[in-house]
Amino acid sequence: MIELVELSKNYGAFQALKEINLHVREGEIFGFLGPNGAGKTTTIKIMAGLMKPTSGRARIAGYDICKEPTKAKAQIGLVPDRPFLYEKLTAREFLKFVGTIRGMGASDLEAQMEGLLHTFGLESWADKLIENFSHGMKQRLVMCAALLHRPKVLIVDEPMVGLDPKAARLVKEIFRKESQKGVSIFMSTHTLEVAQEMCHRVAILDRGRIVAQGTAEELAAMTGQFKADLEEVFLRLTTEEEDESS
Amino acid sequence: MKNFLLSWLVFSPIVVSGWRRLETKEKRLRLVIFLSLGALLWAGTFWGLWRVLTYFRGIESFGDLLAWRLLDMVFLTFLGLLTFSNMVSGFSAFYLSQDLELLFSLPIPIANVYRAKLSETLVASSWMVLFFGTPVFLVYGVVYEAPWEYYGLLVLGIIPFLVIPGCVGVALVMTLARVFRAKRARDAVMAFAITCGVGMYLLLRFLQPERLVDPETFSGVLGYLVSLNAPRHPLLPSNWMVQVVAPSLFRRPGEEVFFLAMLWSTASAFVVMGTWWAQAVYATGWSKAQEGKGARGRPWRLIETLVEKASGIFPENMRPFVVKDAVSFFRDASQWSQLLLLGALVIVYLYNFAAMPLEKAPIDSWYLKNLMAFLNLGLAGFVVAAVAVRFVFPAVSLERGAFWLVKSSPLDLKSFLWAKFWASVIPLVVLSELLVVISNALLKVSPFMMVLSSCTIFLASFGLTGLGVGMGAMYPRFKVENVANISSGMGGLLYMILAVGFMGAMVVLEGLPVYIFFYSRFSGQAPGPWAYFLAGLCLAVAFVLMILAFWYPMKRGVQALEEYEI
Repeated sequence: MIELVELSKNYGAFQALKEINLHVREGEIFGFLGPNGAGKTTTIKIMAGLMKPTSGRARIAGYDICKEPTKAKAQIGLVPDRPFLYEKLTAREFLKFVGTIRGMGASDLEAQMEGLLHTFGLESWADKLIENFSHGMKQRLVMCAALLHRPKVLIVDEPMVGLDPKAARLVKEIFRKESQKGVSIFMSTHTLEVAQEMCHRVAILDRGRIVAQGTAEELAAMTGQFKADLEEVFLRLTTEEEDESS
Repeated sequence: MKNFLLSWLVFSPIVVSGWRRLETKEKRLRLVIFLSLGALLWAGTFWGLWRVLTYFRGIESFGDLLAWRLLDMVFLTFLGLLTFSNMVSGFSAFYLSQDLELLFSLPIPIANVYRAKLSETLVASSWMVLFFGTPVFLVYGVVYEAPWEYYGLLVLGIIPFLVIPGCVGVALVMTLARVFRAKRARDAVMAFAITCGVGMYLLLRFLQPERLVDPETFSGVLGYLVSLNAPRHPLLPSNWMVQVVAPSLFRRPGEEVFFLAMLWSTASAFVVMGTWWAQAVYATGWSKAQEGKGARGRPWRLIETLVEKASGIFPENMRPFVVKDAVSFFRDASQWSQLLLLGALVIVYLYNFAAMPLEKAPIDSWYLKNLMAFLNLGLAGFVVAAVAVRFVFPAVSLERGAFWLVKSSPLDLKSFLWAKFWASVIPLVVLSELLVVISNALLKVSPFMMVLSSCTIFLASFGLTGLGVGMGAMYPRFKVENVANISSGMGGLLYMILAVGFMGAMVVLEGLPVYIFFYSRFSGQAPGPWAYFLAGLCLAVAFVLMILAFWYPMKRGVQALEEYEI
């Protein structure tokens, strides 16, 4: 469902991504891990069509994001790391706006919108201006917007930031349900427990390069510590890289 | 000393970040362009005022009084502008800045935060007045061959003169933010500040300053002189400032030391009283401003319903943007309150035509009226361009951080940009036609000029909008903190230059058809076929220019947005 082939991105002389290759299957929850500045957000921005790669290609549900951006974007629901929204709209108006620019019919939009507002516990806030929302509420609203058009691919950057434990649990449940329905979820996160608990497979990105990918068990085996948890694996892999480069 | 250092520490990040903004080559180039244009503006002000003051100086017995009175008006205008501008900047600095959360979490006394924010407000509000004031003060010095005391006293007096309205503006803002509930405070401050500004602008215009150079309007020379000598309000700092500089300038005995002391003591007292006031109300007001109780204002609901209904005329893929932009505009006090300024501008613009004494002119009034209508076309175009740089050019940048939603959606950016175009062009056409048709009606121009002007301004509005929306997309500023700053960047400046050039070209191209029209009226002969051909050619070129002005920037704008990386 998601295919990244030899994907690279340069910012001037700085190489942020170095020939990344990965493949996410239908219905799979894929964790994308890495230290700060590793290139996770850059990868997500390229996949979502917010940025162009320097070389390589990204295909979403069979469509190349650079060659067929409209078709590829129609398959994506995006939750960015910082939920910038239209502060002067109410939650309901915002969702209506997003649904309309995504070409949803009025009755379908109305039903989906009400359902998602209810699921994410935003019903009582639906007619309040977004400028009055907390970070967590904005995050939940962005998730509503991302799921509104029933995407085949959900791309999420740091989904748990700003969420209280109840909302975090809700999000995990929703992701699992969406995955069971066949939605592929590409999730970048720093929270290794979440990745361990939720993801079918993970990739570890360090300084623009994927240093390992597979299931948590496969990664543990790679490091020679079969009973290690993801945190130990992550630290070992990223520290090894640092040692090698120094 | 410790207090001063602490205040400086709070203020210093603003200075450092301002300096950092000049680090790249492009930004330094931008500064050079700004400074060059500023120098041009300076030279223009200097030359214009130099002519006026030289003329005044040549008038025996009361020329100096006229110059004195003009100086009085200059300082009074500056005082009003400073108070208004300090209120607007003060509200941003004291209640909206992103550094406030950090400052309030640190163990810094409110007094130091107040002084640092006051300094920030003063710099933000005063530089414009200093910039435009300097050539005015210099030309006074040059024309009246002022001694060095004049310049010394000017520098000594101008500092407290800038501080006083700063303290007053900030104190008013703090009071409004303390009195009004939560988010309403922002609306109240913006509306109050802009109403004051509009009121002052209208008052100044309706005082008819042009009568000062028209002694006929006075019952006699004696009445004229009496009116010039009429005492100004003794408590106004603008009057004290005049009393500080005028004696040395006009070589008359005065009490400059006393008035200088008045300025300094008042400024110092205001800073101290402002600190007390801040200690009493600022923290509570700021805390209230964080409370999220702001809901939709009832008065706007009708407008919102109307907007939603009216949006039916737009294609389906553009409709959501038109509705979203219009609704957001009417919910944001910093946006809609500018309509008050625009309203005042239109009233004064039309009033100028109503008050124009064309009948007194020594030449044929038919010719003069129609000539005025032709020149009015350029002037209205300039006004519309100035409005467009504030309302149309920022249309794309107003998406701000939420542009990711547009960019990641399957909607093509062409539809997005054209939605911005159509939503902007309709109000701009209404405004421009209002200015041209009503002013032409007031001038009672010929039907030919009425049709030509209204058609031209109609087409020019399309050109100015396309240019504005397109260039706004080519030079987007999604990350700007204050939306008022969107049009003050390089793109806004370039847009203004191109818009004025475009209007100038339109007027020049229509000059020939208008000349032919005037010539046939005076000579009583019908224009020949060549004249018709040339006139038609000029009009055709003007039409092509208009098409180019809106089509090409829109095309480049779409390309720029497609290339833009978030």
